[in-house]
Amino acid sequence: MNTESRKKALHYFYEKVVGPLGFKFTPDAELREFLLEQEVILEGKHGVPFCPCQPLRHDRARDMQIVCPCIPFHRKHFDAIQRCWCGLFVHQDVTDPDKLPQLPPKEVGLE
Amino acid sequence: MKKVSMYTLSTCPWCRKTKKFFADHKVPFDYIDYDLADEATQRRIMQELDAAGASGFPFVKIADEVIVGYQPERYASALGLQGGAE
Amino acid sequence: MSDKYIRAISADAVAPGGVKAVELDGKEIVVCNCGGKYYAVQRRCGHMNAPLDMGTLDGTYLTCAMHCAQFDVATGEALSGPVPPDFGGEIPPRLLGEYFQNVGMLMGRIRTESIRTYPTKLEAGWVLVAPQAGD
Repeated sequence: MNTESRKKALHYFYEKVVGPLGFKFTPDAELREFLLEQEVILEGKHGVPFCPCQPLRHDRARDMQIVCPCIPFHRKHFDAIQRCWCGLFVHQDVTDPDKLPQLPPKEVGLE
Repeated sequence: MKKVSMYTLSTCPWCRKTKKFFADHKVPFDYIDYDLADEATQRRIMQELDAAGASGFPFVKIADEVIVGYQPERYASALGLQGGAE
Repeated sequence: MSDKYIRAISADAVAPGGVKAVELDGKEIVVCNCGGKYYAVQRRCGHMNAPLDMGTLDGTYLTCAMHCAQFDVATGEALSGPVPPDFGGEIPPRLLGEYFQNVGMLMGRIRTESIRTYPTKLEAGWVLVAPQAGD
């Protein structure tokens, strides 16, 4: 299976989901391409495109919460840091994604 | 020199940046790539993450301090280094 | 190879986003309406031959109803393979469990192949397909 074709399809599907949630793809093209490639690899291995930056627990219910885009399952956290954990998506008004630190929920007053 | 160890994912660019940070500052560190580890090791790592209230990588331990997420300024500060930002 | 076009189905019979199965020259084919542009691909999923007319179409991406393999109907390319099913935490009766294990083992050895595409054209409100020119 062709990685570029799969990335293009994932991009198409994701865009429709994250837009209404107030997010968009990160303007950092290199990061975006790398993360999508990792997701294609993960999908090839597990059948589903998991987040490249969160652990698989081998517990179906919990692992489904890190299927990309996993924003709905981490809404408060990601809205607080204006990005998702791996950084593939950022809030729509973000122009400089490098300025968004990767902070866990505890450090933004959650959990 | 404080002991530095971390749990990372081979698929995560932030984990790569984390390893690079310590390598660039010539700070030795241990790491385990969670996704490449065997089941028993994975269970042990998740127990540690759960105990610390964390659920993402990178998970860095500098002596007793736990830092979750790529945070170069905090790494620098924990190690007493100059210039944390990349 | 002949590229003789045959009337497959009335264009109106396939709504935008819709997929309909037809049989032409003994070949099972599905016709897809992707926002007014019509594509024709083989009916059988490149994974385990499930009927793609039961799948869902989004843009030119067709997802099979059986195990969610995905294809691009514009090129026939297989984009992703099956999604592992979830049977919940219940322990099945022994024989059923053994059956599932066996099937699962066999399925783990299958590749998802790309699917054949057929040339199409629109003429006088009909979708024409060339069933002998499949690729």
